[in-house]
Amino acid sequence: MNGVRELHLVGLSHKSAPVAVREKVALGGEDLKGALAALADRPGVGEVMVVSTCNRVECYVYGESLEEARHFFLARTGDAKGHLYERSGREAVRHLFRVAASLDSMVVGEPQILGQVKEAYGLAASVQTAGAFVSRLCNRAFATAKRVRSETEIARGAGSVSQVAVELVEKIFGNLKGRAVLLVGAGKMGALSAKALRDLGADRILVTNRSPERSRALAAEIGAVSEPWEGLTSLLVLADVVIVSTGAPSFVITRELAAQAMKARRGRSVCFIDLAVPRNVDPACAEQDNVYAYDIDDLQKVVSQTHAARAEEAIRAEAIVEAEVMAFAQERETRAALPVLAELRRRAEQIARAEAERTLAHVGGKLDEKGRRSVEAMAQAIVNKLLHGPTARLKEAAASGDSDLPGAAAELFGVGEAEAPPRARTRPHDAPDADVHTEPHR
Amino acid sequence: MSLLVLRFAALFYAGAVTAYVLHFARPRHAALATVGQWLLGIAFVVQAVAIGLGCKEYGGAEFFGLRGGLVFMTWLAAGASLVVQRLYRIPAIGAFVTPLILVVLLPTLFLVKPDFPEVLPEAVRRPMLTIHIVTALLGVALFAIASLVAVMYLLQEREVKGKRFGALFSRLPSLAALDQLNQRLVRVGFVVYTVALLTGSGMAKVVWKSAWQWDPQQISSLVIWMLYGVMVQLRHTGWHGRRFAMLTIVAFGLVVGSMVTLNVLPEGMTRHGGDFSGERK
Repeated sequence: MNGVRELHLVGLSHKSAPVAVREKVALGGEDLKGALAALADRPGVGEVMVVSTCNRVECYVYGESLEEARHFFLARTGDAKGHLYERSGREAVRHLFRVAASLDSMVVGEPQILGQVKEAYGLAASVQTAGAFVSRLCNRAFATAKRVRSETEIARGAGSVSQVAVELVEKIFGNLKGRAVLLVGAGKMGALSAKALRDLGADRILVTNRSPERSRALAAEIGAVSEPWEGLTSLLVLADVVIVSTGAPSFVITRELAAQAMKARRGRSVCFIDLAVPRNVDPACAEQDNVYAYDIDDLQKVVSQTHAARAEEAIRAEAIVEAEVMAFAQERETRAALPVLAELRRRAEQIARAEAERTLAHVGGKLDEKGRRSVEAMAQAIVNKLLHGPTARLKEAAASGDSDLPGAAAELFGVGEAEAPPRARTRPHDAPDADVHTEPHR
Repeated sequence: MSLLVLRFAALFYAGAVTAYVLHFARPRHAALATVGQWLLGIAFVVQAVAIGLGCKEYGGAEFFGLRGGLVFMTWLAAGASLVVQRLYRIPAIGAFVTPLILVVLLPTLFLVKPDFPEVLPEAVRRPMLTIHIVTALLGVALFAIASLVAVMYLLQEREVKGKRFGALFSRLPSLAALDQLNQRLVRVGFVVYTVALLTGSGMAKVVWKSAWQWDPQQISSLVIWMLYGVMVQLRHTGWHGRRFAMLTIVAFGLVVGSMVTLNVLPEGMTRHGGDFSGERK
């Protein structure tokens, strides 16, 4: 038996289930803590972690079977049936690594998911349902995600329209400190972009809309200031970034209006982002100096370029994930034999040191510093040579899934039992991690 | 000896060019920019040694010739660009400035022979002249860097306006940053150049007994000074971005043009070609 085989996963995501089902099983905060603790107390469950985002809910169980994980979903809603995917062993490890590396995301390469997995792990660790195994698993998942990020270009470019808008604005204005953003129209996408721009440092966000009620509502929602529609002309003088998304059938920002605003702005740059269809900003505006205008097609084109580039990078990312999964599985398998090995080595070294000291107590006076060191080195060398064969064989046996040999070795040498697979709940404090000996070998 | 050390400096400049250009091509390797900056710093120091040795060898007369002037100007440009890098942290600038420094420096290593007068009139041996030479060359160096920043601005503007979000778009800094840097370089350059102009007329007064002589050098310097002065003023009336960048390039074109013409013109036409070569440019 080895660790990886005992990992099970049941989940549903944007790929397998509609949002109507996902929202029924999604849970967070205190609810999730309660659910984790309840799940961990079920028989046959060692460790538990649940990743719950708006795109996926996944239950990772380290234990005897995936029955409990499946039950976690079906107890919540019968609708989940038919939308669940189930993985065990390496498949489950691979799935988590892919999720963390953002290979399974709706927008491949998007950066949020890693943070969400980290949060899920943190939550499970805080209620102590994540023990030594899940800790190690998650650490490797995070390291894999980091490798994918730094060794491939999967996270390069802008993956969504609002990200493209932000990138553009950044190239025109640098940061947005002290600059004003104007939202013309109360569309949802405009609001998203405005929020993203605030993250870039814009400290003034203004909203204007034909219907003042909607303008006020949106302003309240995103922490902006609502301005009357009639003042649009003077607002254009104020704002450096103008995001337009009204339902108007024709240009709201005409060439003349832009020219008039530019005159009053004394040439200060302005960027129009037109998210509306039909378009609300006359593209001819951009013919003037220091006026930049983009429509939804311009932004969408960048997004699809990014997606195409990311799809290519994903192939390289999958190879990294595969290598990391292999390394992790092997590490866990080898680890099963390691308590015996560590104990064996510890005892042998203890004996060697004691014998060397005894010898030195007798003859140490006749030896110089160099001679004394040679005696110590000789004792150490005997230990190493004697243990070399058994060490190699034990590791080999463990890697091939043979658990008899470690047991036999333990009995033969009279040292402790090999690490037992989790029969009952293992908590971090009663499952000290032997990671000191098991740094991944790559 | 000074020439040998100068060639060493050129090697380091070449290294800095390589590092900066590679960094521009592969921005993910951030260490390249650091390497470039270090190499540029080392080149600056080595060139300082070369200039110091040159002063010892020729007693300062070197800077009255074209060769010495170019050497000194590249050194000042390297120093200025080190300061700019330190203040703004825009390594992309290195990929534009260091090649220019190297290109200007190269002919002084092999082609241009030392071309200064054997004997310097005692009248010009004054601290005022030193200030004049340093500020004039520094002013031109700053205008040169400003014009390169303006080129970067125009390149980036073409990407941003033309909706070409490719390699240049991601590698060049933001338009606002380039515009601001351009403006500041022009401003500082103008102040420095003003000092050069004042000390220049001071020297003219000493040597020619009159501050203004309708000398071609004086006329072109005054025109250039006024042009940059106008640019500093235009800034307040909303001139920025594309138009300002173009103006920066045109103005520097004029600087280079006047330098070339005045050096090509027959000796007789420049009043100080004979006795006052400090106003060489």
